[in-house]
Amino acid sequence: MSERLNKIFSKKTPKTKLVAYFVGCYPTFQISLDVIKEAIDNGVSILEVGFATSEASAEGKIIKTAHDHVLNNNDTLLDVIKLVKEIRNYNQDVGIILMGYIANLYKHPIPKFVEEITEAGADGCLVVDAPHELKEENILRNELNNKGLSLIKLVAPTTNETRLKEIIKISSGFLYQVNLSGVTGEKSAHQGDVNALIKNIRAITSLPVCSGFGIKTPSDAKDIAKTGCDAIVVGSTFVKYIQDNIDDKKLPQNVGKLIKSFTNELK
Amino acid sequence: MTKNSLKNGPDELGYYGEGESAMGGMAVGETLMPALHELNLAFEDAIKDKAFLDEFAYYCKHYIGRPSPLYYAENLSNKLGGAKILFKQEHLNHTGSHKITNSLFQVLLAKRMGKKNLICESGAGQHYSATAAVAAKFGIPLIGVMGEVDIKRVNQNIIKAKHYGAKLKAVPGTLKEAITDAIKTWITNPDYYYVCGSAVSSFPFPKIVQFAQSIIGREIREQCLEQEKKLPNMIIGCVGGGSNFIGSIHEFLDETSIKKIGVEAAETAALTHGTPNIMQGMKSYMLASSDGSKSLGGSSLGAGIQYFGVGPQHSYLKDQGAVTYTSATDKEILNAYKVVAQSEGISSALEPMAAAAEVLKQAKGKPKDFIIVLSLCGRGEKDLDTIEEHMGKDFE
Repeated sequence: MSERLNKIFSKKTPKTKLVAYFVGCYPTFQISLDVIKEAIDNGVSILEVGFATSEASAEGKIIKTAHDHVLNNNDTLLDVIKLVKEIRNYNQDVGIILMGYIANLYKHPIPKFVEEITEAGADGCLVVDAPHELKEENILRNELNNKGLSLIKLVAPTTNETRLKEIIKISSGFLYQVNLSGVTGEKSAHQGDVNALIKNIRAITSLPVCSGFGIKTPSDAKDIAKTGCDAIVVGSTFVKYIQDNIDDKKLPQNVGKLIKSFTNELK
Repeated sequence: MTKNSLKNGPDELGYYGEGESAMGGMAVGETLMPALHELNLAFEDAIKDKAFLDEFAYYCKHYIGRPSPLYYAENLSNKLGGAKILFKQEHLNHTGSHKITNSLFQVLLAKRMGKKNLICESGAGQHYSATAAVAAKFGIPLIGVMGEVDIKRVNQNIIKAKHYGAKLKAVPGTLKEAITDAIKTWITNPDYYYVCGSAVSSFPFPKIVQFAQSIIGREIREQCLEQEKKLPNMIIGCVGGGSNFIGSIHEFLDETSIKKIGVEAAETAALTHGTPNIMQGMKSYMLASSDGSKSLGGSSLGAGIQYFGVGPQHSYLKDQGAVTYTSATDKEILNAYKVVAQSEGISSALEPMAAAAEVLKQAKGKPKDFIIVLSLCGRGEKDLDTIEEHMGKDFE
């Protein structure tokens, strides 16, 4: 269990209710770092830093394009861990979660990955395609626990109550509630649906819940934040902004402004 | 079956073998996990239901035309002057390949589960046209996902599937991209039934596909004993994901005297050149960058065996040393096509010609009573344009 995540959620709400996902090293290591620094300065409480995989099975077009860009640049998980280290040097309060797929971790391999992200100052990781049925998830969870880091688990709209209880039992840091059945950046979340999902979790646990998928605008964010979750996750919107303005000299500052438009609604 | 039988399925989490070297498992996002568990329970329940199995057997016989013949390729055997070569004529099945047996089984399962929509992926389009046929027969709408490269080269299957009423979703790339996108389509519609076309992906698909296709091996046993009064000495088949080959050899896995050789495309030979990785729902041998992040694709003339990975059970059988895996180049595939066409009057699909290329090597010098069974798992119509293109260049 990450102490920092604990602290972030220990007050009634975090600094702001915004968790921001970025694809690490997108479009380059340096710009990615500058963008993330602006995100921190504009109120993000937790960063999810993605590492790229070619067969990422839950990503829509936007994040898939960013992953392919990073892979073509030959920026690897090692580079993303270096990026995390730079982020941690810049700020000691923001939560940092590495997010991606099991292939990279398996080949790293897992014990080395956990050692390196601990050293870099990360608070945990989230592995999309590693349910608790997978042997490597068990290995990863064990290694993270030993280092005091969190393995962030996903809960989906399809997750039934028995499964939800199993997941809660092995969760630490926070739960990631996936708001809808779909890939990233496509469908929109509905407040009523999310209300029901959060209510189900709240009935069982006091663990913090971050709600993600289908949140595209500050107004979406404001609506979903009212569902009783502790924070909301926005990803594709930020990645798309970077994609559409990839050559803009003021990209980091402008992403900062975009972040601000969300955090203003999420205090 | 004994405790140590290679025919024992994967464990309850989908692993073939034990410990960290076990292959298979379930590596998908949370959204699909309940659907996969539901599918596993539905499968286990269905295969205990005699009425369900009888229905499957009925349509295998009357709709597909099973059993497919075990044919003595006398001219080819004489030409090579060694072993006795038998073709398991899976290309004579309805829709022209082994794929339809699995499509039939899974669509019947989907129907039993009350599913209202189907998704499938395809490389060579054989699985797409087969599933489209069965989907039409049982009145369940189908979306097929295929790579644009494959859609161009196997046009006939696309046209047939369209006539059967299926909808096609095109994605950039080939089979690899189609599989990833089929999973995305399923995540977006988790109440659909995903008809996985090969013995790949997350548990329970490798188990289900192996179960459905194992009819091939059981027929080989029966037909070979009846026709030849003995069992084959060797079984050779091509391997992309590996459904046709696991179906051919599963029956014989504990019979070590029967040699089994799986043949991949040389450019995408996961079992020869790959290492274990976890992608597309499973742990298995794969061709990938050393950091695991990038699947690596070569190209093969055989769309159905151009796949960077392989079914997890094959990875396990390789590690156990129970099956030999090798590969064939495009040139060897085309040469085998020509030899089979001219000696037996059979225009085969290119994929099984990878296996035929190995037969050409193995048959020579073997005694006349040494029986090699070649699984001829698809017919050539879909590949005629590709073959014509190479006529006069790579062979006459």
